[in-house]
Amino acid sequence: MHALKKTGWTVFFGMLPALIIYIGIALVPIGMSFYYSFFNWDGLSPMKFTGLDNYLSTLKDAVFWKGVQNNLFMMATGIFGQLPIGLFFALLLNRSLKGIKGYRSMLFLPVVISAVIVSIIWGMVFKIESGLLNGLLDLVGLGAWKQDWLGSPKLGMFSVSLTYIWQNYGFYMVIFLAALQNIPEEIKEAAVMDGATGLKRFWFVTLPMLKETIWVTLIFAISNSFRVFDLIYVMTAGGPAHNTEVMTIYMYNNAFQNMNFGYGSAVSMLILLFSLIAIYAANLITRRSR
Amino acid sequence: MQTSRIKLSVLHIFLAILCLANILPILWMIGSSFKSEEEFSINPMGLPKQWDFSNYSKAWKVAHLGTYFWNSIFVTIAAILLTVFLGALASYFISRFDFKGSKWVYGLFLIGMTIPIHATLVPIFILMKKLGLLNTHLSLVLPYTAFHLSITIFILVGFMKSFPKDIEESAIIDGGGAYRIFWSIILPMTRPALATVVIINFIYNWNEFLFALVLISKTGLKTLPLGLANFAGTETKFQTMQMAALTMALLPLLAFYLLLEKQLVQGMTAGAVKG
Repeated sequence: MHALKKTGWTVFFGMLPALIIYIGIALVPIGMSFYYSFFNWDGLSPMKFTGLDNYLSTLKDAVFWKGVQNNLFMMATGIFGQLPIGLFFALLLNRSLKGIKGYRSMLFLPVVISAVIVSIIWGMVFKIESGLLNGLLDLVGLGAWKQDWLGSPKLGMFSVSLTYIWQNYGFYMVIFLAALQNIPEEIKEAAVMDGATGLKRFWFVTLPMLKETIWVTLIFAISNSFRVFDLIYVMTAGGPAHNTEVMTIYMYNNAFQNMNFGYGSAVSMLILLFSLIAIYAANLITRRSR
Repeated sequence: MQTSRIKLSVLHIFLAILCLANILPILWMIGSSFKSEEEFSINPMGLPKQWDFSNYSKAWKVAHLGTYFWNSIFVTIAAILLTVFLGALASYFISRFDFKGSKWVYGLFLIGMTIPIHATLVPIFILMKKLGLLNTHLSLVLPYTAFHLSITIFILVGFMKSFPKDIEESAIIDGGGAYRIFWSIILPMTRPALATVVIINFIYNWNEFLFALVLISKTGLKTLPLGLANFAGTETKFQTMQMAALTMALLPLLAFYLLLEKQLVQGMTAGAVKG
């Protein structure tokens, strides 16, 4: 590229610290997790090789499958909740309007707040006594709908996912907004000339232009849904009675509460596998339309 | 496009209502934090009848907020310095030098954006235990750095690649070495991207919970999210005091967000918009 010669060692030593930290703490542990997953180990006594036992007992555990089911629910919430709401607000904000920045700031705000604070706030919103949601229902005369939002077996996951949507749709809104602003003016004008208005224009002109972006957000929504932890750990810790447990909570409990590191590692490998399968499936399903 | 005035005001009203509804939980929390526990139990919805500030001094003490703030500030800043310095150096060599495997190294760093943290949790815990680092600030600084090098390098390489190729030429004629060129020419030119990277690293480190939960158990070393989660779990009876604690934890972040929103939003969505 330029006249600096004999730079081999310079380059090597310049990159070394970053590479050591990155490979040693982010990459190698994935391999170690895989390795640990074949052992029975509490971190203190010697490791005992048990082959596939950890995987087999995980797959036999009903609580794990409850976690899988809840993860799928979170994934659906991401895809059918966060993405459309994000797109909806992006469409609303995609125009020159006074005060548009203020609106965007308020809608994006939850994205930057720590999931812990969000969860504690929403835990209070969902409280039976003196919670915001039940209080609002009382105010509008729907007192009969008051619920134990987080504790009820039927509504627990619904309430958790409401918070999940609230915290994250702003992220997708901004991505959609950037994509909308990249649609060339000529295409919009041509569509107007052809008499395409309202819904028709959205469906036949705007949406096809967003295909690539929708695909990217879809991947984000899927992989993020398998990573949900803080939100549920703080709000319900997976309870009551595993009702809102997701796979990451199950993994944490087994590895760090029961001190079963081999078992926990096997679960973390299964989470990775399941999220890859979900992304692959999404790829297959949407391939034709892309 | 022309939009009629009526349509425009309807849109404004509609947006204003939605936005207010969106931040209602936060407003409710801040409002209620000024109520006494008794008033809150009788009147959880309206504005406080008597503004009571005692929750704030109580919460600050009971929740050890001072300690948690300090720990969060220390860990966040240390991790930012390490990440951005090492990331900038690596980005410089990746973007400005032709060496064998430079693309490969770049690709290797990018993989990091797809690694789920929980899949590395057990080995990192074991590693920190073996190194004797459990319950130290360093045990958080290292993983925070490792996991955010990827996005840092992604943003910085993208920026540094756009510089014209002859920038270094004159410096080389003057006899400057690779590191001097990095320090006195490339780094100053990268300032806008460095700002973005510092800002998103700040927000990620400041909010991080899972590593802290696993690697830190001493109260004196807990970061803000971990400390607040514990506090909320134990002081369930004192709701308005909790709200005061949350409000105090939220305020610096709110100020940070309002000041630096543009770069923050750009940085956080960089992986999705460019990628």
